[in-house]
Amino acid sequence: MQDFLAHPAVQAAVVPLLVGLVVAAVLLPLRLSGLAAVAGFLAAVVLIGNFSFATLTATRKLVLLASAAPLLGVIADFAFKPARLAGLVLGVIFGAAGLWVFWAVLVQQPFVHGLRLAVGVAALVAWTVAAMMPLHGDPVRAGAAGVGLGIGAGVGAVLGASALIGQYGIALGAASGGFLLVVMLLGRRARAGASLVLTISVTATLLACAATLLAQLPWTAAAALGLVPLAVRLPLPDRTHAGIEAVIAVFYALVPAAGCLALAWAASRAGG
Amino acid sequence: MNNHASFAALVLAIPLAATAAPETYDIDPIHSFAYFAIDHLGVSTVRGRFDKSSGKFTLDRAAKTGSVEVVIDTASVSTGDNVKGARPRTRDEHLRSADFFNVAEFPQMTYKSAAVKFNGDAPAEIDGQLTLLGVTRPLTLKIERWTCKDHPMRKKPMCGGDASGTFKRTDFGMKYGVPAIGDEVKISINIEAYKQ
Repeated sequence: MQDFLAHPAVQAAVVPLLVGLVVAAVLLPLRLSGLAAVAGFLAAVVLIGNFSFATLTATRKLVLLASAAPLLGVIADFAFKPARLAGLVLGVIFGAAGLWVFWAVLVQQPFVHGLRLAVGVAALVAWTVAAMMPLHGDPVRAGAAGVGLGIGAGVGAVLGASALIGQYGIALGAASGGFLLVVMLLGRRARAGASLVLTISVTATLLACAATLLAQLPWTAAAALGLVPLAVRLPLPDRTHAGIEAVIAVFYALVPAAGCLALAWAASRAGG
Repeated sequence: MNNHASFAALVLAIPLAATAAPETYDIDPIHSFAYFAIDHLGVSTVRGRFDKSSGKFTLDRAAKTGSVEVVIDTASVSTGDNVKGARPRTRDEHLRSADFFNVAEFPQMTYKSAAVKFNGDAPAEIDGQLTLLGVTRPLTLKIERWTCKDHPMRKKPMCGGDASGTFKRTDFGMKYGVPAIGDEVKISINIEAYKQ
């Protein structure tokens, strides 16, 4: 069993998928299925075993913020109906929080370069959060975006030389897949909520930024993931089964993710 | 008479005091490297080195004390795997990422000590502190070889030798890949340094 759980594919894909599926199904009556993404992600963090509070490195701050995002989401879901303005406000908040995550890296850069990186991190996080928030009421599109963002950030990070960030990203995608499986099986009764869309948007974009700043994922590849929330808005067939909608939405989400990976691969071939 | 004798003793003691003063040596980065060795999959030992380091040490042979400070550029890590081939990234690129040395966040690792132990006239052991990934832990290095002499061509006083020790990388928060990639790291430092 220990060997099984130590396998990177089990840690990053199998366990997060199962945890996401179970949490989405079990918490469905409480309208908290959206916690599936963070549950699967944290299961991977525990299994990979790299987390510790001893030295708060950027990746560990990232895990903390990924854990805090759904809590804010739950409050948003139950305290008030998230509106368009809430997406913008939360985007700004998490964009600023992204600077906190990478502060130690940014301040070691030459001023102008560090400023560009800081603007890039804040803008990508803020945009993705703001663009994902309106999807809180659409579990199919929200779950599909989670699959696309997680796989894109995760595999992109592997191509950028970080297996750890890669596993984290793939775990997020797999956990979102677990949520989406529940949607496919039980229909739209499973709520995404701000808890799901915040977890997905904050965690995936921070992972993409981490793969850029702490490994070698090119900025263009990370930025391509910002198109995922737009891609999943493409039309879905009317009056079809949620399962078919989900498959099509995942396909939409994987197009920008594939663009991210193509850019990451091209950069690795070019020596960047 | 007593005053004259005291003054004479003081004058005679000045050169002795001068030779007993601590000597400071600057590490020659071209001939000084930190190497590491680590178990891989329980099958073999992977070795690597850091190509860039700097620092200095002091020796007070009369008092048999010394201090040392070595700064290692973590981005200079090299295990000889620097050609990608069909792979997207090399092992050295992976070692520089957040999984291992996290060079963007922690560009330096340092070893500092003010507790150099002597065996006879030569330093034999260093009780110091290794700082890696922002974590500082004690690390004892045993000096396996030590020589001080004039450089044969430049005629400049120099000292050098080899020292080694072991630590667990997980103690420094470098947990990725354990146990497939071993926890225990053997570090060896070879140093050549010139007197200031």
